Amino acid sequence: MSRPNNLLTLALPKGRILDEAMPLLARAGIEPEPDFANENSRKLRFATNHPNVTVIRVRSFDVATFVAFGAAEIGIAGNDVLMEFGYPEIYAPLDLGIGRCRLSVCEPAELRRTDNPARWSHVRVATKYPRITEAHFAARGVQAECIKLNGAMELAPQLGLCRRIVDLVSTGSTLKANGLVEVETVADISSRLIVNRAALKTRPADVGGVVDRFREALDAA
Amino acid sequence: MESYAQRGLLPAGLRDALPPAAEWEAAVGERLLACLAGHGYQRVKPPLVEFEATLLAGAGAKLAPQTFRLMDPVSQRMMGVRPDITLQVARIAETRLADAPRPLRLSYMGQVLRVKGTQLRPERQFAQVGLELIGAATRAADIEVATLAAEALAEIGVPNASIDLCEPTLVPAVCRGLKLDDATAEAVRAALDQKDAAALKAAAGKDAKLLEPLLRLAGPAAEVGPKLLQLDLPAEGRTMLADLVAVADAVRKAVPGILVTIDAAEARGFEYQTGVSFTLFARGVRGELGRGGRYDSGGVEPSSGFTLYLDSVIRALPAPAAARHLYISHGTPRAAAKAQRGEGWRTVQGLEPVADGRAEAKRLGCSHVLIDGRIEEV
Repeated sequence: MSRPNNLLTLALPKGRILDEAMPLLARAGIEPEPDFANENSRKLRFATNHPNVTVIRVRSFDVATFVAFGAAEIGIAGNDVLMEFGYPEIYAPLDLGIGRCRLSVCEPAELRRTDNPARWSHVRVATKYPRITEAHFAARGVQAECIKLNGAMELAPQLGLCRRIVDLVSTGSTLKANGLVEVETVADISSRLIVNRAALKTRPADVGGVVDRFREALDAA
Repeated sequence: MESYAQRGLLPAGLRDALPPAAEWEAAVGERLLACLAGHGYQRVKPPLVEFEATLLAGAGAKLAPQTFRLMDPVSQRMMGVRPDITLQVARIAETRLADAPRPLRLSYMGQVLRVKGTQLRPERQFAQVGLELIGAATRAADIEVATLAAEALAEIGVPNASIDLCEPTLVPAVCRGLKLDDATAEAVRAALDQKDAAALKAAAGKDAKLLEPLLRLAGPAAEVGPKLLQLDLPAEGRTMLADLVAVADAVRKAVPGILVTIDAAEARGFEYQTGVSFTLFARGVRGELGRGGRYDSGGVEPSSGFTLYLDSVIRALPAPAAARHLYISHGTPRAAAKAQRGEGWRTVQGLEPVADGRAEAKRLGCSHVLIDGRIEEV
C-alpha cells in the first residue's frame, strides 16, 4: 500500500537493548517525546524532535518483521533475530556494538561431566531460535529436534522437557542459577541498525541520512 | 451442497481478480506493451507449458525448484509450467527466429506460475510484461533496456518510481583481483548482499577497508557515481564501475522523472546476469516492480532485457477512476443505447420493465440512467 507522506518510522526493541540504544539515539540527534521513557504508557507510536520521524516500541522479533515488510523503514535488532528470520529485504549496514552477548548451546552441569558433544547424532533442544539451531547442528552433522519456546528456556532441562537449550547468554548468571553450563557458542550477537531494502533504494536521502547520523554517532563514540 | 466458504477457498498464492481490478490490470499491461511496441519491440507469445528439458535448460536450471511439472499423456514426456518467460523468449530467438536480423527486439506479456511465493510476495501466479534485446552486448544496448524500463513506468504514471543499477559480476571480479579464496569470496558476497558491515569486516579481514565503500556507496547516481569512479579497486572492477556509472548517467538524462540510484555490489537474484543490471522500485510499495539486465541464456547470444511484475506495478499506481455505466430501461430502442455507446458510454440494458428506473440503476451500480432520451446522474 502506498503511503503518501514523508514519514520515517524507527522500530526499537523493548527491554534490555532499548536502554543501551537510547544514548546512541540521543547522539544521533533523535529524541523521542518524554512519554517514550514511560514503561506504562499505552501509546504505541511516539513523536520525536524531527517532525517526520516517529518511533515505535515493539518486541525484538517484531522489529525485524516491521522492517522487512516496510512498515518501519529503520530499526534496531540483534543479529540473532536477523539470522532466525533471514529476511532478504533487510539490510544491516551498521553494527551498533550494543546488546552484546552470545547464542550458546547449554546443558545441565551434571550432564556436561560425562557428555561428549562430538558424538552427538541427535539432540532435542528447547529454543526461541529453531532455524538457527537446526542450521547450526546440521552444519556439524547433528540432527536437531527443536522445541520452540518463547521464554524461560532454562526451565526446560529442570522439568525434563529436554536436556539441552540454545539461548542467549550474556553474563551467564541465569545459567548458573539454574545449574546449566555452556557447551558451545552458536554465534556472537550484537545489535545492528537495520533498514528496509526498498526504502533505502527509493528514499536514499531520508533513510541513508539517518544511517549516516548513526554512523557519525558511532564514530564519535 | 458445498458451502460458499468451501467453494471460495483457493490454493495459497492464487486469487480471483474482480471488477474493476481485472480490467485495470489488463489495461495497464496493454499500455506497457504499447510503449514497448513504440520502440520497435514486437510481441511474441510462448506457450504456458513446455517440455521440462527445454524450459529448464541452461540458465533455466535455477528455476527448477519453482516449476510445477506435469506429465504429457501424449508424448509421455515431463512438462513444466513456465515460472518465468524470459528464457522462453530466448529459446524462440535461438530457434524459430535464428535467421531474423540482429539485434532482435521482442516483447511479451503472460501469466507465470510458481511453486512457492515468498513471505513478502506470496503470489504464485502473476503476469509478467517485458522485453528482450537479443544479440547485442554493448553499453548502448544496456542503456536502451534500462532507459525503456524507466520510461515504461513513467509512461503509465507510476509515481515516485526509481531504478537501482548494479553490476552483479563486480564483487566476484574484485574478489578474484584480491586473490581471495572461494570460501572468503562467498562470505564477502553474502555480507554485501545483506549490507552487513559487521559480517563484511569479519569475512574480509585486511581487505575490508577496500570493500567497505562498496557497501556504503549506494544511493542517487549523481552523488555516488563520481565517488565510485574514485575507488581504488583492481583494474577489472574499475572498468565495470565505469560502465555502470555511464549507463546510470545516460538513464538519468533520458528519463528525468525517475530516481536513478546505484548500488554497485547488489547481486541477489542476479546469479545469471553477466553485466549491468537493475531493479525497479516505487516509493511506498513493498518489494520490487521488476528487474532486468544483461544475461547469458546458455545459448550463444548475449542478450539484455527486463521483466515487470504486473501485480506489483498495479500496486504502485493510483486507483483508477471508476468506470461510468449508463442504465438503459427495458423497452428503450436499441439504436438509442447504441448511440450512447458511440459517445463512449458503457450501457447496462434493463431486461425487464421496472417501476423506478433510477432506483434500478442505483441497485446495479450504474452512475447514470437514460430517461426519456436524457442522461441523468443517479
